[in-house]
Amino acid sequence: MTLALELKGVSKHYPQFSLSDLSLTLPEGQIMGLVGVNGAGKSTLLRLLTGLAAADSGQIEVLGHRLPAAQVAVKRGVGFASEDMRLYRGQTLDWHIELVRRIYPEWDASYAASLMRRFDLRADQPIGGFSHGQRVKALLLLCLARRPKLLLLDEPTTGLDPVARAEVLESLAEVLRDERRSVLFSSHNTHDVEQLADSIAFIHRGRLLACADKERFLGDWRRILCMGEATPELSAWPELAQLRSAGRQIELKVRRWQDDIPARLTQAGLDVQRVDPMALEDIFVTTVRAGGAA
Amino acid sequence: MKLDLNWPTIRLLVVKDWQLFQKQLAAYVLGGIVALGFLGLAKPWAFYIGSLLLIIVQVAVACFAISTSLLIERKEQTLAFVMSLPVSPLDFTIAKLAGNLLTFLVPFAVIGLATLLVILSTPLPDGLVVFALLLFGHILLAYCASLTVAMQVESEGWNTFVMIASMVLINPFIMLLGQIESIREVGRGEAIVWSGDAVLILSAQLLLGLALLAFTAWWNGRKPAFY
Amino acid sequence: MNPMLLLSASDPRPMYQQIVDQVTARVMAGEWSPGQSLPSIRELAASSGVSVITVKRAYEDLERAGVISTRHGKGSVVSDQPDQLRGLLDGTLDLHLAEATATAARLGLDRATLHHRLDAALDANRPAPSRPAARSDVAPADDTASPATPFRKGNGP
Repeated sequence: MTLALELKGVSKHYPQFSLSDLSLTLPEGQIMGLVGVNGAGKSTLLRLLTGLAAADSGQIEVLGHRLPAAQVAVKRGVGFASEDMRLYRGQTLDWHIELVRRIYPEWDASYAASLMRRFDLRADQPIGGFSHGQRVKALLLLCLARRPKLLLLDEPTTGLDPVARAEVLESLAEVLRDERRSVLFSSHNTHDVEQLADSIAFIHRGRLLACADKERFLGDWRRILCMGEATPELSAWPELAQLRSAGRQIELKVRRWQDDIPARLTQAGLDVQRVDPMALEDIFVTTVRAGGAA
Repeated sequence: MKLDLNWPTIRLLVVKDWQLFQKQLAAYVLGGIVALGFLGLAKPWAFYIGSLLLIIVQVAVACFAISTSLLIERKEQTLAFVMSLPVSPLDFTIAKLAGNLLTFLVPFAVIGLATLLVILSTPLPDGLVVFALLLFGHILLAYCASLTVAMQVESEGWNTFVMIASMVLINPFIMLLGQIESIREVGRGEAIVWSGDAVLILSAQLLLGLALLAFTAWWNGRKPAFY
Repeated sequence: MNPMLLLSASDPRPMYQQIVDQVTARVMAGEWSPGQSLPSIRELAASSGVSVITVKRAYEDLERAGVISTRHGKGSVVSDQPDQLRGLLDGTLDLHLAEATATAARLGLDRATLHHRLDAALDANRPAPSRPAARSDVAPADDTASPATPFRKGNGP
């Protein structure tokens, strides 16, 4: 299996923040969603992966190249867009396209034209007159039309209206038609990640809490509603991430789900009423509140 | 150190800086021509206004070159876009230095040469050439110092301070030149005489400027990554 | 461009379940005939804006249920034995009905109440305008009644 990127024991320290001992792999042809609260370390991780920042320790390989030494080769094959990246206000989108096209010979003019139509962008208008959503889409167009082998996108849907967001997500899904291309995108919008990602990397306070394929990750969690009395033994279950009760009704959120859990709850004297899968957002919030063990 | 530079991209980035500066460039050249027009009248009042205007234009060119290509790029976050292109910190430093020198040196040289032509072809004393070159030398040095700081320091406050301070120092520098008899006397006559003092000052300005640029290139280029 | 499947975040079922249900419904209705090729996993994922792994899981479930079969290097096709499949699904339905009647017995529900509950469950599953009219428009279990929005619009639930 070819890896689009690989991190081994990577640490990076800043005065107010550090990323510690991060190990992560993304196989070629997959979309990985990077989830975490603001300030969890998502942007730092993406900076490390583009070679813009050098790790203090550990190894980073992207598209088979070691970073930061081979950052030029990596940046040739990577399309990177981040939330804090802006285009030149006084120049048109066409001017930017011309610049990017000359740097990357893989530039696909017909794909660029179709993205221009889909994103409803005007090539001859200065970027300064674009709305926030249009600027984000322009930046994505510049990345996508190069057909990079790996897309690294920092919060690509933040601040977009629902229609623009759908357009962006659709174009990301289409990238994966080619099985040699991969995407890593960060988002604090868990719906985007849940819909689009093959695997989920969950970062909290500079540490990787979990990294698994999405179906398994979601399959590990359940919300269970029962009637009865919550006993101290129940609270001590290692699977239990959260317990709330209202009167005799008890809500349990469990990780590492096993099919025998309802039976064990019945044995503990509880009447199990519902067992439901959990949305990523719920899992995310539960994990962060439970002190960050996924 | 093995020099493995991405020349095609460096060239594109330099061209990009030049394109971004183009509109202002025309305005500066125009300002320079107006200033030289005053100088060319060879009247005391016109000479005073013309030389003042000339210094203002040259200082403005220096400040705006740095500001367009470094400070505004940082402030408007287009820097992140440039850094995402396939360039190493050394490529980026060279592109920035080259782009900056180009946008500054072209109008600087055009206006400078035109000034010398005006001095030589009008009733103004030809000896003023020495004086003018020393003043331009000061602006060049102040520009190199400001560029060095702008490449290293992110703080806008410090950058503005260094730019203004180094350029304003032209005033005491003019007074200093007035104190040096060999230079003062040459400026009044028709003969262009390079005294030892004048040569010393000019070569010090040029060498110091070059040393600052070399230091900037080395300092920024040695980093393995941008952050 | 017409989507191959009508997937929506407004549907309470998980995405992979929606794919399983819709593919099964089409095969049962004879809309997709035995031997017919299914879109490749990547193609379906790209065109409907869901992840590859979700489609993969749905295809695995469909294969286990006998609805489709995957031939090495040739992609997935609709299974050759729709009758066998129908029997399989019939068996599943019988199993669920048996479970339901057993639970009803534990609750002490009589036959009429259980009928009412079944009707209510059917109504809950399909957006019929009103209950009395429901009889006439009974169609094979299908998905076309779900809103025709292949992609999530808005922020979801």
